[in-house]
Amino acid sequence: MKTDKTLSIMKVISWITLIGLCIKTGALIFSFIVSIFFNAEKAKTLPMDIDLSLLYSFNAGHYAVIVLLMIFFLTMKTFIFYLVTKIFSKINLSHPFNLNVANLIIKISYALLGIGLIAMLATVYKNWLVKNGAFVLLKWEYGVYLFMAGIVFIVAQLFKRGIEIQSENELTV
Amino acid sequence: MAIIVNLDVMMAKRKMSLNELSEKVGLTLSNLSILKTGKAKAIRFSTLESICETLDCQPGDILEFKADN
Repeated sequence: MKTDKTLSIMKVISWITLIGLCIKTGALIFSFIVSIFFNAEKAKTLPMDIDLSLLYSFNAGHYAVIVLLMIFFLTMKTFIFYLVTKIFSKINLSHPFNLNVANLIIKISYALLGIGLIAMLATVYKNWLVKNGAFVLLKWEYGVYLFMAGIVFIVAQLFKRGIEIQSENELTV
Repeated sequence: MAIIVNLDVMMAKRKMSLNELSEKVGLTLSNLSILKTGKAKAIRFSTLESICETLDCQPGDILEFKADN
């Protein structure tokens, strides 16, 4: 009963987070398009209180790459939360271990790995920009994402073993 | 599979239907069917005991080992 309650609360939270991330990603994409094609001043007031006007004045191309990287990270986070909501809709507590959920968990670990690797490259790129005189205050914690990818991948492997044990248990008479 | 379940042979010898055996042993029809068709991955001693008791036979009459070629 307690697990049921916790899961339903988490389901609601994951849906709220997913909607929030969709709005955030949409707002960033919109602001980016406006700042590139219509009004360069928009670079000062990007969503999440990010001011990239100095980078924009330094070089519009680098500004575009940095904002596209931010959009990529937000899109991947949104995708992860989409997978989380999918897990919550597919999980069944009487038969918790099933292949669909295991595949979704593996997908989450790959998405986290993707974020981690791209964040690593983005950090190298940002450091190169700073070295060349650009002003970028953004910071990407790639280590955390790589660590999380590893942990989630291990959980997925344990889940797969759980599927085997569950099927053996179901076929024990 | 190396272990063959001869439950249907014993049931035929004792002229017992799956429904009757299911009622006497206390197993569901689906579980008995899993056992009969050889899909079962394991059998509890308690289940084997009740089947042997009901069919008046030995575990060896129900289970048989045949090496895979």
